[in-house]
Amino acid sequence: MSHHPTVSCIPNTGKMSKAKKVIEEAKEINNPEIDLVDKGISSLDEIPSLFTLENITRLSLSHNKIQVVPAALANLVNLEILNLANNHIQELPVSLSSLPKLRILNVSLNRLYTLPRGFGSFPVLEILDLTYNNLNEKTLSGNFFIMDSLRALYLGDNDFEFLPPEIGNLKNLQILSMRENDLIEVPRELGQLSRLRELHLQGNRLVVLPPEIGSLDLASNKSVLRLEGNFWVPPIEDQLKLGPSHVLDYLRSETYKVLYSRHMSAKPPPPAQTLDKSKKASRAA
Amino acid sequence: MPGLATMSLDNMFCTRCSDGFEPNEKIVNSNGELWHTNCFVCAQCFRVFPEGIFYEFEGRKYCERDFQVLFAPCCGKCGEFVIGRVIKAMNANWHPACFRCEECNMELADAGFIKHGGRALCHSCNARIKADGLQNYMCHKCHGVIDGEPLRYRGEVYHGYHFTCATCGVELDHTAREVKHRPGYAANDVNNLFCLRCHDKMGIPICGACRRPIEERIVTALGKHWHVEHFVCAKCEKPFHGHRHYEKKGLAYCEQHYHQLFGNLCYVCNQVIAGDVFTALNKAWCVHHFACSVCDAALSTRSKFYEYDERPACRRCYEKFPAELRRRLRRAHHYTVRR
Ligand SMILES: [Zn+2]
Ligand SMILES: [Zn+2]
Ligand SMILES: [Zn+2]
Ligand SMILES: [Zn+2]
Ligand SMILES: [Zn+2]
Ligand SMILES: [Zn+2]
Ligand SMILES: [Zn+2]
Ligand SMILES: [Zn+2]
Repeated sequence: MSHHPTVSCIPNTGKMSKAKKVIEEAKEINNPEIDLVDKGISSLDEIPSLFTLENITRLSLSHNKIQVVPAALANLVNLEILNLANNHIQELPVSLSSLPKLRILNVSLNRLYTLPRGFGSFPVLEILDLTYNNLNEKTLSGNFFIMDSLRALYLGDNDFEFLPPEIGNLKNLQILSMRENDLIEVPRELGQLSRLRELHLQGNRLVVLPPEIGSLDLASNKSVLRLEGNFWVPPIEDQLKLGPSHVLDYLRSETYKVLYSRHMSAKPPPPAQTLDKSKKASRAA
Repeated sequence: MPGLATMSLDNMFCTRCSDGFEPNEKIVNSNGELWHTNCFVCAQCFRVFPEGIFYEFEGRKYCERDFQVLFAPCCGKCGEFVIGRVIKAMNANWHPACFRCEECNMELADAGFIKHGGRALCHSCNARIKADGLQNYMCHKCHGVIDGEPLRYRGEVYHGYHFTCATCGVELDHTAREVKHRPGYAANDVNNLFCLRCHDKMGIPICGACRRPIEERIVTALGKHWHVEHFVCAKCEKPFHGHRHYEKKGLAYCEQHYHQLFGNLCYVCNQVIAGDVFTALNKAWCVHHFACSVCDAALSTRSKFYEYDERPACRRCYEKFPAELRRRLRRAHHYTVRR
């Protein structure tokens, strides 16, 4: 419960008029890319003229104080890039997922606890950045993993303990970041993502990896595999000291397959949570 | 799999919109996936499938028309879409029934074929033509039979000895070159025959692929000249026909294969980068799209940026990150530097 007065009643005239000026200028010269970064905007309803810019292809609203994303934002049907990074957003309207040309959506550094039902129906989304929110496997929308046009999915700094096996449906995924979640396990289906070139699993509570990961092309000089800061079984930890490509070699070995299946049937209790997330800015209400 | 009747409406959701269903609402069930009748539509035109017929490609469903337009190749003979079995041969796609021997018209799809003088022939026609040596040509001037290869001139065949080189006057044979176009000459003034030596001295461009002179449309690329139909992708050998090509190590590639082989796609627009390339953090950007991943502000080669999940974040954004995140990023950075 907040005892502060509602800040949006006192318009920050200096910055607000700047936002309006940007929009007027864009209209005049028909600029398809709108930068409204760090303009002190707390509600998009204060700049209604924004919703008339039907021709714009990029809208960058990073570093404002937006709490509510109006459903009418989906009227900007030519948007290809929508950047809402570092705002105070707790909820997204499902209308966004009908934007027919939206390729890049950035809602990182916000306060999302859930995603709306139907969030997965973006027709052409390629990069989805949900880094630094409060999401977990239970709050993902049911159709989240039908976004098979995705080539990059950033879910770092969230609260996932498990990654749903449907991740294997995202056949075009090249980048997956699960950095600093609470992952206890990753599914075998991850091994189906044959185009994956970047996998960030550092800072979780992982002990073993499915042997299928060993078949991914993550050892080339254009690939990234981040595994540090987990609770790996000693043979994985030893290989990791030599480098991620050694881990992949080891995952492919027969010895490891035996170790993995023993581990999975014994189901030892997962390591305790070690990250203190209470200080995350995404928790502020 | 439980039948529809035994499933409770409460946990049935539409695959497209993930909303539930009304009691007594008509539900489409396709392979266990449920849809509102209005949601069961073509992924391209968003219209209901005519007569319920749809095609699936990479997990999406399309109406017949859009499926054909998007994915079905065109037959090199009849020009219709090829659905079902596609014969890939002679740098084109064919219906099995359309790919036939150019001598006897036998279907070649299963029998196999031999490329002879740019034509697809069945094995027996190829053998026969080879044995005949060359077909029996008849000289257009004296109507006598030509032994060996004829001299070709204005679309007819002749004995070489009826002609002499327009420059040096030597008697010609089948190696003579006909020149149809020359810069600065009217077409009816040229149409002349030359011996090989004189022809070479005239500086008519030679195709880098087939080494024959180019007298019609010419493509200049990779420091060489090419017949339009001989300037092809080094990987799939399809002619570019004026479409954009991409060069690498002295070879030319179509967009698809350049990307497949060299992977310089812009991280933001996902297009092959034609001009200058910015590379950092295992990624590439085109000039227009090298920008901070948090605020979209343009970066230059001189810009200082911070690594954030293998993407660039500008200094302004980094300073606006929550302090506890900055602390963790710093620690992670030390880790990677140490290794
Ligand atoms: Zn529906
Ligand atoms: Zn045909
Ligand atoms: Zn034949
Ligand atoms: Zn001559
Ligand atoms: Zn040629
Ligand atoms: Zn090609
Ligand atoms: Zn680009
Ligand atoms: Zn920035």
